[in-house]
Amino acid sequence: MENDGTDSPGVSRREFLERLAAGGAGLAVAGGLARPGAPAWAAKGSVTLADVGVGDPGGDWSKFSGPTGWDVKLVAMGNAPSGVLNVLIAGGGTQIYDVVNIVGGMQKPLVENNLIEPIDTARVPNWGKDTYIREFLAPGKPGFDFIGYKGNVYGVPTVLQGDSFAYLPEKTGPLDSYGALFDPKWKGFVALEDNFTTTGQKTALYLQKNRLASIKDPANMTPAEIKTVIDFLIAKKKAGQFRVIWSSFEQSVNLLTSREVYVMDCWEPMVFVAKKKGVSAVYAAPKEGYLLWAMAAYIVRNPKRSKEQEKAAYELLDFMLGGWYGAKITLSRGYMTNPAAVAYAKSNPGEFGPAEAQEIAAIDANVRKKFQFGGTWQNRWPTHVETYESEWARFKAA
Amino acid sequence: MGALQGRVAGVARYALLVLPLAFVAGALLVPLGLMFVWSFWERAGFWIRPAFTLASYAEFFAGVRLSVLERSLVVAAGVTLLGLLLAYPIAYFLALRVRRDLARNVLLLFTIPFLVNYIIRTFSWVYLLSRTGPVNRALMAAGVTQRAVDWLLFSDFAVFVGLISSYMPFMIYPLWAALDGLDRRLVEASWLLGASPRVTFLRVTLPLSMPGVFAAVIFGFVGTFGESAVPIILGGVGYQLMGNTITSALDVLNYPLAAAMSSVVVATMLAFLLVWYLAFDLRAVLGKIARWRF
Repeated sequence: MENDGTDSPGVSRREFLERLAAGGAGLAVAGGLARPGAPAWAAKGSVTLADVGVGDPGGDWSKFSGPTGWDVKLVAMGNAPSGVLNVLIAGGGTQIYDVVNIVGGMQKPLVENNLIEPIDTARVPNWGKDTYIREFLAPGKPGFDFIGYKGNVYGVPTVLQGDSFAYLPEKTGPLDSYGALFDPKWKGFVALEDNFTTTGQKTALYLQKNRLASIKDPANMTPAEIKTVIDFLIAKKKAGQFRVIWSSFEQSVNLLTSREVYVMDCWEPMVFVAKKKGVSAVYAAPKEGYLLWAMAAYIVRNPKRSKEQEKAAYELLDFMLGGWYGAKITLSRGYMTNPAAVAYAKSNPGEFGPAEAQEIAAIDANVRKKFQFGGTWQNRWPTHVETYESEWARFKAA
Repeated sequence: MGALQGRVAGVARYALLVLPLAFVAGALLVPLGLMFVWSFWERAGFWIRPAFTLASYAEFFAGVRLSVLERSLVVAAGVTLLGLLLAYPIAYFLALRVRRDLARNVLLLFTIPFLVNYIIRTFSWVYLLSRTGPVNRALMAAGVTQRAVDWLLFSDFAVFVGLISSYMPFMIYPLWAALDGLDRRLVEASWLLGASPRVTFLRVTLPLSMPGVFAAVIFGFVGTFGESAVPIILGGVGYQLMGNTITSALDVLNYPLAAAMSSVVVATMLAFLLVWYLAFDLRAVLGKIARWRF
């Protein structure tokens, strides 16, 4: 049994954390806070899943724990590349986490730092049944870069989505181009995301598709192309086009609901929240296409992990490609998950009401349409990532 | 027996000193030292390797990030000055013009904002200052303006409002402590000798309260200089202070550049403290006799 010195002799970090969790669970039960139907302690142990806040099915892992005998310990994790790497390298994450579920496309730094394991897809029965993987993420397709690296599969796609921008039709009328973000008509009423791999790439897509600049691949620009994009954004910034660049979910929702801005580069869930708050925001279907991305669940490399623990991690990956989990995540987050989700929700009215099943099917169809329409796959770690960052700093400082 | 007791007491005294010193060294000096050393290292893949290169400093001083340092200094100085101008009169009245029990209650009220999460407090300014927020609505209702005032939010003004409201309360306490501890007989003596209230304030009260000013300026300047949340939430299109640009470099794992920028920030703060120390006696802040050197 390894001991990394974080606790008393003979107790590994994992055991230490498990005991802490067990203590917490005991207190929760004593306090009447235990989740109904959840086992107080799974017989075989637990799989630790680090997640960025998207992969939690409402705290209910009983459909995984029941058949497998393993509990899931969910741990919050930031999604920024540096945060992920720092947690795994310096924070001892490889000793603690079994699976990390983050926005994919991080294979290069993760593999080159020996932080994740290649996935044996034969050990994931749902893998072969997932037509979305074959259609959008198979080797040779641009989406493979979100889960694979140098021909090997490293991530299980748990969520798929296509991003564009939001707008308030009451103020702007219908919009169908990223050009709305740069249209002087909405000067001072536009917000961008503070993210060079999303905003930069969407701008590049707009410039490329409208032949406003020569950009070969918006997903992996050369330094000169990045400079072109940033020069364009700086010119717009100096003309007063942008009101703010947002950096948190709440901030961006607030910008829409307060009608501080009319057009906003953002994620679709923000529109869902705005709608629930009574604001008739619309998520655009731009003629230039979408910024496509997927979340990937990676198995963290830990040579000391037992065979049983590894098997449990694989079982969790398989569970995350299953119908119940997919339906739960689609319903709660508004993202497409896997083809089984729609069918599961429809055929299990005891778990998902007709309205919920309909909503899941609508979300799935909407996102699938985006993928079929196409666009550009987000690149979380482009070749010239440092140039992206320094040029983005230039935009912000301009 | 007595000698033994004395020796034990001496050892205990050293032990007491060693523990905090070890803590400071381990938690502060070692990380700062590592940061300084890493600023000269070079990148190797996704990590860094030992070297002696000034590349990261050159990148910082030649690039746009230098303008962020300049802005950080200007904003920190501005917020500190405005905060002081607001905090000093408040502390003055609480210490010298109102009853002690009332002053204590008012000081307690100044702690209430700290019971609310800092980020939520900052976000509340977004609501108040937005185009459709209460301030703009009030201005329009009063006929001051026909349309919403844009510069209230996502602007220098908003950043200053957010920073002053965050750090000014920290400045009130040391000022109040300094003014409250002032020997009133000196003020009375000044009056008896015929000095006007203005002269008494400038030549007696203000110099004697300088230790409080010293501490207040440190609290205001250091806090503001390292701030990163307020500029993001209230600052508009890419408003950055040093904390933001260091975080940005870390996002692409550029540790040497982040370390170089952090080292420059620390050096700037040390220079600031040195200048301040030359103007004031640091011991005064530590509770010793105040001594205004000029």
